Amino acid sequence: MPAPHRPHPELPVAGTGRGGSRPGTPQHEVSSWTGHLHVAPCHSQKRHQGPCWEGHRGWSQHPQDGGASVSPRDAAAGPECGGSKRTRRSSSSPQHGRATPAACPRACGCSDAMAGVALGWLEPIPAPSPHASRKSSFTAVAGRDCPSVPGPGRGRRSAEQPSQCVCSHGGGRSPLVPSNTQQEKMPGGSVWVLVLALALPSTGQQHLEEAERIMSTTPVIDGHNDLPWQLLRKFNNQLRLPAANLTLLNDTHTNIPKLRRGHVGGQFWSVYVPCETQNKDSVRRTLEQMDVVQRMCDLYPETFACVTDSSGIREAFRSGKVASLIGVEGGHSIDSSLGVLRTLYRLGARYMTLTHSCNTPWADNWLVDTDDEKPVHHGLSPFGKTVVEEMNRLGMMVDLAHVSVDTMKVVLNISKAPVIFSHSSAYSICPHRRNVPDDVLQLVASTGSLVMVNFYNAYVTCSDKAKLSDVADHMDHVKKVAGAQAVGFGGDYDGVSGVPTGLEDVSKYPMLVAELLARNWTEEEVKGALAENLLRVFSRVEEVKRSLQGTAAHETPIAFEELEGPCRTSYGYPNGAGTARAPPAALAPALALALLLAVLS
Amino acid sequence: MEKKRNVAKLLWLLMFFSDIVPFSCEKSMRERALELMQDARLIDGHNDFVLQLRILYQNKISGVNLRELNKTHTNLAKLQAGYVGAQFWSVYVLCSAQNKDAVRLTLEQIDVVKRMCNSYEELELVVTSQGISDSRGIACLIGIEGGHSIDSSLATLRMYYDLGVRYMTLTHTCNTPWSESSSKGIHNFYPSVIGLTAFGQEVIKEMNRLGMLIDLSHTSYSTVKAALNISKAPVIFSHSAAFSVCNHSRNVPDDILQQLKKNKGIIMVAFNADVLACGRKVVNISTLADHFDHIKEIAGSESIGIGADYDGVEHFPEGLEDVSKYPSLIEELLRRGWNEAELKGILRENFLRVFREVENVRNTFGVMDAGESEILQEEKHSCRLDLGKPQAQPSRSFALSSVAQPLSLTLVSCLMLYYEIYGV
Repeated sequence: MPAPHRPHPELPVAGTGRGGSRPGTPQHEVSSWTGHLHVAPCHSQKRHQGPCWEGHRGWSQHPQDGGASVSPRDAAAGPECGGSKRTRRSSSSPQHGRATPAACPRACGCSDAMAGVALGWLEPIPAPSPHASRKSSFTAVAGRDCPSVPGPGRGRRSAEQPSQCVCSHGGGRSPLVPSNTQQEKMPGGSVWVLVLALALPSTGQQHLEEAERIMSTTPVIDGHNDLPWQLLRKFNNQLRLPAANLTLLNDTHTNIPKLRRGHVGGQFWSVYVPCETQNKDSVRRTLEQMDVVQRMCDLYPETFACVTDSSGIREAFRSGKVASLIGVEGGHSIDSSLGVLRTLYRLGARYMTLTHSCNTPWADNWLVDTDDEKPVHHGLSPFGKTVVEEMNRLGMMVDLAHVSVDTMKVVLNISKAPVIFSHSSAYSICPHRRNVPDDVLQLVASTGSLVMVNFYNAYVTCSDKAKLSDVADHMDHVKKVAGAQAVGFGGDYDGVSGVPTGLEDVSKYPMLVAELLARNWTEEEVKGALAENLLRVFSRVEEVKRSLQGTAAHETPIAFEELEGPCRTSYGYPNGAGTARAPPAALAPALALALLLAVLS
Repeated sequence: MEKKRNVAKLLWLLMFFSDIVPFSCEKSMRERALELMQDARLIDGHNDFVLQLRILYQNKISGVNLRELNKTHTNLAKLQAGYVGAQFWSVYVLCSAQNKDAVRLTLEQIDVVKRMCNSYEELELVVTSQGISDSRGIACLIGIEGGHSIDSSLATLRMYYDLGVRYMTLTHTCNTPWSESSSKGIHNFYPSVIGLTAFGQEVIKEMNRLGMLIDLSHTSYSTVKAALNISKAPVIFSHSAAFSVCNHSRNVPDDILQQLKKNKGIIMVAFNADVLACGRKVVNISTLADHFDHIKEIAGSESIGIGADYDGVEHFPEGLEDVSKYPSLIEELLRRGWNEAELKGILRENFLRVFREVENVRNTFGVMDAGESEILQEEKHSCRLDLGKPQAQPSRSFALSSVAQPLSLTLVSCLMLYYEIYGV
């Protein structure tokens, strides 16, 4: 499904490559230089020095990689990143309170046609059959109903859809073989074919209508969308190119018609620059990405309204526009400077993810929880704590997606305001280190914070395949552990390559809401997840800002010794005389080594 | 003997008159100057105080009393004594930050201006000509000194505008990839750039579109010519003087002054002793006034403003030691026969005219005109991550070359560092 040249800021996971990648035959893409290095063997090595520095190579696939010679990357990434998803999957299943969420999706469904409706391919579906049950999809594992979908179904019915799955098109019930029976019948790989099958509750249509009704007044506020990154990669941010027309754009998860169909009323556009810009031009690139969001609002004023506060979001809801906000993805964007943090706030940034998939000089990222990297700060350095304090003072939400568990805990303990996970899922459902473990979810609950659930297959099922209902499982879990007021949506669209069947693009949020309704989420709970929870957190962050008004800005810069890289001047630092100094003694061998290697290569 | 006595008498009389008559005259001149400045408080085009805040305090200003600070040419009390009504605070980062962390440093300087102006009630941040007119305190405006601050990025330029920057000096003492500086031999950046490149012309257009004043101080003759040809709005020299009076490369020759008159722009005259006197030992208010007289003669008083450059250089004329001393200049110009309308013009009105016109030109553009040009070849350097082309071909890379690549980058960086440190 993803376009061949789509680079993704969210880490691509080994084995989740597009197209032909199959479980067990790692064939991963190396998206040259993006934030993807962190899954490569160089994780454990110094930045920019490891053998997986792929800079300057464009967006190439890497056919030589993988295959027979399993690179260390697989070994490193495997357990966490879906390389061994079968074991992961089975080992995680028993943890469910209800075994059904894992089992049920393996049955089949007929929601493709539903997807077609949401996408506008099909005519609206008539009212559901009267006997349609309100029971959630996973309460009817054995012999569950297949949703009745009338119409010709021009939807993209996959050829891989199991033939055993019979969907009646006449509105009657069509009992399905229970999923565990399916598995018994179809050993090996064919189980995975089944996994492709879609599942929606039998009362899907009714729930979908209800979802649409709810979303017409409470549209979704999504925590994370990487469209600006796509605009950079595809068009170099030249929004006036004919191909960059945001209404016609069709090889992205996001475009204007899809946003409309998806009832997206608020979007945090991710301002992401790759970790490899750290200590280089991350600040300029961040400004450029903020600029492109601003220009989106300028060029499509009937669709987007750039806003910077919670009341602005509500206003956009009323005027039927997509409230557009800016989230900075990765603390490396501020280049360890509180002055830059403040100016980014003034330019409209309203959350900052403390790290992307690399440590900053003041915060640890999630990779330190894997074998790939060692903890450096064990959470936050003293300067990192100052960053959080300054964000509280400014009224910028702290985003804990991508950070290490230690970092999560430190921040949840010191932040004066609730925080968000702009695009993370539940670790108990899929034990990927990018996800949020239960003990942290409890802290989320006690601080009034929010987890905006990520749709990326690798974080949803710890594999390269997932379905809409798998995402609902995560939402159920966060609700169970932290409460419904802690749940949000953080689709990560256009930041990842593989999104679940049934959630192919930003038009599909109503389908997920329908699923939640089918799972007996109340309207209030659904509205909370859609928008009110984020608005509550944001308002609280704004209150804390007001309460801190009058306190002085944090002014003490990070110690120069804590910084690295030749692209840095030390102007203003004591003894600084204009440029970063390197001891001449160290300079000479470095030069010699560099020369030697340059010659060798 | 008789003759000698007569001469002595004459001398005594002369001394008497020079003591009595000019004294009473001067007093009234002083009063006239002060009254005039009360009416038309000064808009100064260039002050490097915030650079001093970085050097002296690492921008940690909350513990410093900026009203009484005495290590600098500038403090708030002196600004008030000098009848300063609006100040362009220069956001300057050194040329050696070019292609390195210039953007971060620039943002930090913008931040410190904002924090300073938000923490003192006598200061007020403004971003429009109307804002200056309405301000009752000292209006704070921001000017970026040196095109290297945008790192060849129109988007960055726009973000600076959004942060309140209202002029940008196209170069400091180094060439940028797209503009040529008047200073030669200080830095070795982009020696082949002459005037404005195609991208440089895009920068001018984008500044016109945004409503950002184009500042041509520090730029080369070719750059000035090109900018004057392209700009749809009047331009400024935020801190320069007359080349005919002192042939310093920082100063503006007569033919440019004539063109500036046609452009309806202004030159805000710097008080920097080095560019006023070209090494002469005695530099006083009269030396400075000579520049004003000359520019008035060539381009008319409506082409003149004041951009003293306090805290940016060391040497100032006698009698103009700090920002409290502006009235002494006005006094001198009164003495030289400048009338009140001319003086109000150079103090304030000429700049406001230029700023309003820049805003008018901005209003003729639409959102569709946003510059989307990018610099392609010139800007590659080791501190910039090369994103490659969006549709790059697959390529193969093996361990050695991928090790060598960053290290060759390191090599370039090290060499650059060497050049920086030893000033080669």
